[in-house]
Amino acid sequence: MRQPGAYSKLVSGGKSGPHSLPLARIKKIMKNSSDEVKMISGEAPIVFSKACELFIEELTKRAWIMTLQAKRRTMQKEDVASAVIDTDIFDFLVNLVSHDSANTVRESDQPQES
Amino acid sequence: MADGQGAPGSPAAGSHDSGGDQSPRSGVREQDRFLPIANISRIMKKALPANGKIAKDAKETVQECVSEFISFITSEASDKCQREKRKTINGDDLLWAMATLGFEDYIDPLKAYVTRYREGDTKGSAKGADGPARKDGVQPNPIPQLVLQGSFSQGMNYGNSQPQAQHMMVQMPSMD
Repeated sequence: MRQPGAYSKLVSGGKSGPHSLPLARIKKIMKNSSDEVKMISGEAPIVFSKACELFIEELTKRAWIMTLQAKRRTMQKEDVASAVIDTDIFDFLVNLVSHDSANTVRESDQPQES
Repeated sequence: MADGQGAPGSPAAGSHDSGGDQSPRSGVREQDRFLPIANISRIMKKALPANGKIAKDAKETVQECVSEFISFITSEASDKCQREKRKTINGDDLLWAMATLGFEDYIDPLKAYVTRYREGDTKGSAKGADGPARKDGVQPNPIPQLVLQGSFSQGMNYGNSQPQAQHMMVQMPSMD
């Protein structure tokens, strides 16, 4: 596991290693989320780096249950969607996973591209 | 109005939403909107049994969901800051937002994580000044002790409206 050992904080300073997600990117996504977001404390992305990890784990485990129920061994997008629909706290993702089916969302969220 | 050239109809030119400056979203490059798929994938795999596989589209969906999660929590935290006339979103605000929005199960692990991070972060000084002296001495973060003992743990009672055990981390169903 990548748990810091007894000496790791002395050796590495503990700063660069432990986050499994890039803090600068997290910060950008935070800023993109609303115009009101002006300043973000240094600690906020660190909180998110772990929170996102928990979130991904939970979503993945729930989606995997759906995969198994469909008697598959490979998780598909629809499993993630079912997990979202099945789980109350993931309600805020319902739109994303359901109108995602056309695979156009990644390019932009704009309603039309005329 | 797009006249003559650069009409939005040309699909090739629109590869990264060029020119669209009316909606804030459209100017944002994809790599600024999502966390790297490799990191996402690694975390997902860790959550699965060894024989589990993940299709690319499933990873991409989770990738989008994570960004949405960050925005969702950030917006709630940002609203709180505005109400309280503060300009900076801090870790406490995020924890509050998560608790408010149903993710109270994340709070304890997050607090532990931040604590561990802080200890690691104090680096060289950790050796000599292990005691309370360090608290206001060399703190690399300007935020004083927030998650640990601040208003968070005592001040308010989070999650009171949510059934507590509602979304524990899922156990794998006993599949063998």
